[in-house]
Amino acid sequence: MSYIDIQNINFAYHPKRPILQNLSLSIDKGQWIAILGHNGSGKSTLAKAIIGLLEPDFGTIDIDGMTLSPTTVYEIRKKIGIVFQNPDNQFVGVTVRDDIAFGMENLGVPQAEMLEKIDFYAEKVGMKAFLDKEPAELSGGQKQRVAIAGILAMQMDAIIFDEATSMLDPTARRELMDYIRELHNEGLTIIMITHDIEEALWAQRLVIIKDGTVFRQGTREELLKEPVTFIEAGLELPVGLQISNALKQMNALSLELEEHLWESSLKK
Amino acid sequence: MGIQFKEVSFQYPGWGKQFFEALKDISLTINDKDEFIALVGETGSGKSTLAQHMNALIFPTSGTVEINGVPITAKRNKKIKYNSIRQQIGLVFQFPEYQLFEETVEKDIMFGPKNFRVPEEEAREMAKKALNMVGLSDKYLTRNPFNLSGGEKKRVSIAGILAMNPKILILDEPTSGLDPAGKKLLMNLFKSIQKETGKTIIIITHDMDLVYEYTNRVLVLNEGMLEFDGTPDYLFHRHDIDKWHLDYPATISVLRAINDKFHYNLDIYQKTIDAAVSTIAKAVQS
Repeated sequence: MSYIDIQNINFAYHPKRPILQNLSLSIDKGQWIAILGHNGSGKSTLAKAIIGLLEPDFGTIDIDGMTLSPTTVYEIRKKIGIVFQNPDNQFVGVTVRDDIAFGMENLGVPQAEMLEKIDFYAEKVGMKAFLDKEPAELSGGQKQRVAIAGILAMQMDAIIFDEATSMLDPTARRELMDYIRELHNEGLTIIMITHDIEEALWAQRLVIIKDGTVFRQGTREELLKEPVTFIEAGLELPVGLQISNALKQMNALSLELEEHLWESSLKK
Repeated sequence: MGIQFKEVSFQYPGWGKQFFEALKDISLTINDKDEFIALVGETGSGKSTLAQHMNALIFPTSGTVEINGVPITAKRNKKIKYNSIRQQIGLVFQFPEYQLFEETVEKDIMFGPKNFRVPEEEAREMAKKALNMVGLSDKYLTRNPFNLSGGEKKRVSIAGILAMNPKILILDEPTSGLDPAGKKLLMNLFKSIQKETGKTIIIITHDMDLVYEYTNRVLVLNEGMLEFDGTPDYLFHRHDIDKWHLDYPATISVLRAINDKFHYNLDIYQKTIDAAVSTIAKAVQS
């Protein structure tokens, strides 16, 4: 059985404008998947449904063998954390220390254990020197790392990154992606919600969402072979592959050049 | 006229007696006509602080910012109408869509002009014009802004600033959070507004592809200093831009890698993917 099993979920704010439609998706434990879609495709709504921030009108979500419902939602939120796009929307503490503690306090973790964990996870995300700093003194990338420390401190199984890098500058973005890779290597399940293909290519498996349902899914190599899939879903291919495809259509692409463009586009 | 920075420095108060120097001795001139400028640099380099000086939202610690002939210095002057400066220089914050609050699009766009004492009917006309400028039809006037898509909200909030008819429009990371299609739409919109009205547009961005394809002047800030002021072409011909934490546009990187690997001699300075493709095709076919 998969770690996350989503069966035919539907969601609409207005009956005439469905946001999620018969969406089914399975995610295995330890997998790194990217959920790709253009603005308004329903991908962020899906993320909110998985952690029970909104309830599907019908359909079921099973997580680690438990069916998501108002009675299990708090149990499930101990397993899956989420990092949002705007770091300011999720910093709840007065200081970095408070912010990392917040989730553990809600879980009733004993004080001594909590202090120990705060130190350990702050160190792990490279924020130990900042424990007494206020959010205003931190950069966006640093706030994201504090959010991750808070999630790790609660010993969760999976983290959803909902366009978490889109407000970061290129350096901070690369740092966060490298860090996510480390977390994945340590066994965490990673779900990245994004419309940035470059970012999605870090994942093992891509799921393309269109009109509130799964449009295509597969490994990156499988999907990239059908460029039209991305165009139909309102997405763009990496620049190297766009160039490769255009040259191919003009019969101006040598095998070596094609190989080079693919290899350099897929290297992460 | 326009904006002149004369040896401008700005310090934020820090811990104890320490100060953080966000801008260091900046001198530069921005014309109020026909410029499309990118303001770039890593987070914390001073971009937003510089932008906020351009419409007197904050005041220099030392030096002078002259905005359309009005000198702004550390000392506030009661004779200066700072509000009128803010009407001439429109500043759109990052995620302006979070600042929509009225029940109709029309009311939201009219809010700015009315705030600057424009009569109701005139404000209504300005709102309509501004809405059309951002590529939305009159039908949107009666819509509730909260029911619009993210990209539409962004455009409505930009229309709110345009309705004040500023001479210079400054936008802080206008494309962040938008998908590729939304990005393109917005950038083409800025390009056409710039061409049709001759207003100077300044965008703060991290996206070097957009800088290269759309703008005609780049200001690079690093640790509060203005390190570069020139054309994007000149900037990307340099080999040392990583010291300012900048990337090259994707077209340049891809073409450069091809030259390195296959010992070609392609002209790597192509602003668009189409241009890059035809450069390679020409070389292959000859």
